[in-house]
Amino acid sequence: MKKVLALLLALCMILSLAACTKDDGESTPTPAQNNDTTTPAQSNNNDTTTKTPDPTPTDIPVVEIEDKDEIKELTNGQLVDGKFPETKHITVEVYDRNGGTPANDNMYTDFIKKGMLEKYNVEVEFIAVDRWSEVEQINNLLASEDAPDICYSYSFPTIQSYADKDGILDMSEYLTDEYKGLFPNLWNWLGTAGINYRKNPQDGTIIAIEGKRNATERIVTFVRKDWLDKLGIAAPTTTQQFEDMLVAFKNNAETLLGSDAGKLICYAVTEDVGWTAAGLIESKIDPNISDKDQYVYGFDDRRFTIPGTKEAVRILNKWYNQGLLWNDFALYGSGDTTLDDYLKAGYVGAYTQNYDLVFRNGEEGINYTLSQLVGPDAKFVAIDPFEDSNGNHTKYLYSAVGSDRKIFFPATNKEPLACMLYLDFISDAANVEYLQIGDEGITHTKDANGVVYIQAADDDHASARPNSSYNIDLTMTTNGLRLASDELTIKSMAYGYANVDPEDVVNAINVSLNDAKYPTSIDLGTIDSEASVGDTLTSYQRAAFDKSVAAPVADFDSVWDSAMADYLAAGGQDIIDERLEKWTEAYGNATMLP
Amino acid sequence: MAKSKDKEVTNSETKIKIKTRISFKTSFKKYWQLYVLLLIPIVYFLVFKYGPMEYIITAFKKYKMNTSVWDMGWAVNKKKETDILFHFKEAFQDKLFLKALKNTIVLNFLDLLVGFPAPIIFALILNELVFKKFKKTVQTIAYMPHFLSWVIIYSLSLKVFATDDGILNMLITKLGGEAVPFLTNETLWVVTYVFLGVWQNFGWGSIVYLAAIAGINPELYEAASVDGAGRFKKMWHITLPGIKPTIVVLLIMNLGNILGGGFDRPYALQNSMVLDKAEVISTYVYKKGILGAKYELTTAVGLFQSLVGVAFLLTANFISRKLGERGIW
Repeated sequence: MKKVLALLLALCMILSLAACTKDDGESTPTPAQNNDTTTPAQSNNNDTTTKTPDPTPTDIPVVEIEDKDEIKELTNGQLVDGKFPETKHITVEVYDRNGGTPANDNMYTDFIKKGMLEKYNVEVEFIAVDRWSEVEQINNLLASEDAPDICYSYSFPTIQSYADKDGILDMSEYLTDEYKGLFPNLWNWLGTAGINYRKNPQDGTIIAIEGKRNATERIVTFVRKDWLDKLGIAAPTTTQQFEDMLVAFKNNAETLLGSDAGKLICYAVTEDVGWTAAGLIESKIDPNISDKDQYVYGFDDRRFTIPGTKEAVRILNKWYNQGLLWNDFALYGSGDTTLDDYLKAGYVGAYTQNYDLVFRNGEEGINYTLSQLVGPDAKFVAIDPFEDSNGNHTKYLYSAVGSDRKIFFPATNKEPLACMLYLDFISDAANVEYLQIGDEGITHTKDANGVVYIQAADDDHASARPNSSYNIDLTMTTNGLRLASDELTIKSMAYGYANVDPEDVVNAINVSLNDAKYPTSIDLGTIDSEASVGDTLTSYQRAAFDKSVAAPVADFDSVWDSAMADYLAAGGQDIIDERLEKWTEAYGNATMLP
Repeated sequence: MAKSKDKEVTNSETKIKIKTRISFKTSFKKYWQLYVLLLIPIVYFLVFKYGPMEYIITAFKKYKMNTSVWDMGWAVNKKKETDILFHFKEAFQDKLFLKALKNTIVLNFLDLLVGFPAPIIFALILNELVFKKFKKTVQTIAYMPHFLSWVIIYSLSLKVFATDDGILNMLITKLGGEAVPFLTNETLWVVTYVFLGVWQNFGWGSIVYLAAIAGINPELYEAASVDGAGRFKKMWHITLPGIKPTIVVLLIMNLGNILGGGFDRPYALQNSMVLDKAEVISTYVYKKGILGAKYELTTAVGLFQSLVGVAFLLTANFISRKLGERGIW
């Protein structure tokens, strides 16, 4: 008897051990790693292969179906009198950027909830997903079949991988010509360019539609204006001058920071080197790079495999070994706020980021906090230091379509029609404007010409503080200010940030546009090997960049080459091969588009 | 006379037979409460451990969401031909998997080498302490790290080991030394990893040994004292042999886990600079499986991992029994 019992128990134990080890793959991730406060796009989504040249061509405007009976007939009776007879419930993803209010509960989410309920009898629930680890989180949500009904992500390979496993809903059913009149705002805003961008040429399925950027400004390098003044240095316009400036910062650490001199970070490149040194990297890429190279090697959104990137990292490696970079950069992943704190505390001399990053977030913004903590003169301004081989300051812009969030419905979505109506609602120009600028007198004022001046909401209207600037995460089809007219939008951009000198914004916009170019647009159909790697490549790309930057100068080549080999082995090579094959198939031996 | 003697023998034989061959029925009648109690873990294992095992077949299939695992098609290779072992082949051709496999073995072996004796030594030391209050305080403090999650330990380790603003490095540089990259140099990272593992676990791990020590007959110590044995002699000849069965059982269980190990510790502690040494099977499975949506490949890896684990467990148990120890069953 005892033996039987013991055997049973032992058997249970062995098998539980076996089962436990198997479970590992499904454990929840710990949040400590792999996040970055300030990265916009975080995946290998390819913004070099934009389908349409910018600006997007205009389609024939779609007219809304007014006749309620026609709608009822079109939707097979799902919509009666233009709305659902029974209340539908949908869940919607929203990025959380840790801004002024909870991402899923503020004045703006209430506005949407109320609007959707009144207009279509659809109840909306928002699911907050951390912006800086969104790809990881959305992967986890999809894997556990818990994803919201409407999702968006910057990572198309993730969507592709799940589509390959029947985990994504085909949206094409509602994206036909007959249905156009039901979603006029969506069609008029995104156009065929955005909606059919990911359409599969073989079977016509659409697993995701592309959100659109209304502002395609991308990156600039910021520098502490007060430090330049203090040391009598002019704003650098070449890489050499930039290096000299960093050296000057280092040599004058005591003057600049006093007793905190040991905390000085001359140039804050983070764990995501490909983004926070993007200016330097793009300047080292051949300005006359062939279309073929762009297509074949340009799939990584940090341009990791493009020839030229290695030379940029070699420079970073030299700087790292001279003590000009941040020693511990690799320890703080995305989502960590350590660098933000250093920036606000004034320990950082220069860094590269989104053109408007230092202006964002009102009273928690970088420039504003800096002026409060360090002194009224202390601020970051945009400079344009990295020259390419032609002596220009080449840098890439975002393409309006193809580089922003990809909106998709997971297969668990049971209310695709309600979700499509939501997308239409959120693309409506009037709704977008309200979500972006809020109520007049509270979050903005207007001058006689209608130019919008954003201001911080006071404590009585705390719920009106947006979680992200212009609420871009709620207006998922729109990224960037979008007012009634383009002219007004451009005029208002400088006033889009509370507590910020508009001239600094104008300067940053101008720098980001100087010698800037759109990525070349080539599309030769779906690349299967991109689907099969999902988001795996990102971590190898980060590791390759980080190890190469921090290697001893003598080992740089070997470290870079072996890390590159890992990346290629992890699936990069398959993608390159498939793209090369596609290119040869389409254009033969030509290196440029016809 | 002789007859009656014979009868007696048969009688006693039958008695013995009855004793050894209690039928399940009788035993159930007598101990039914125990059987009912046993039902709880059995149901638990059936539902939560055996039930999900159905999905092990994923390793041989082409995975589709929303499809029953039995209805999925068999695995196909790159040429789209059916090849049910494709995912195993894929894993063993994957340089990164082989690297993760190697790292897992190296890190777990180092853990075993350093981490396994640590609680034993700690228990022996505690056992020698005379002042009860001091002993209790030390014990409590040593247990505490066990209750910290690895995410918290990682944040703490940043504050201690970071190159620029870690306390340890600030101290080293103040004393005129060069800052040491504890967390970003591959070799030093391994040292830090093992050290933190020991730090977290030696206190908690010692509980089992302390209990075993408490079970040793005090008369043995008294006898040894009479024979003139000192502290070390007593430790060596009485305490250690007394807890040997416990040590063997725990060692066997640890060996069964040589390819396993948790996910949170390596995942929380690794960073991109040390990935070459820090990527272990569990983190590889997470990155490939969840972030890369390669369920089939990673199930294959998990299955392989489990099989090796069971093999290790059985071998260790077999050897231990051969050497005259009790083993775990």
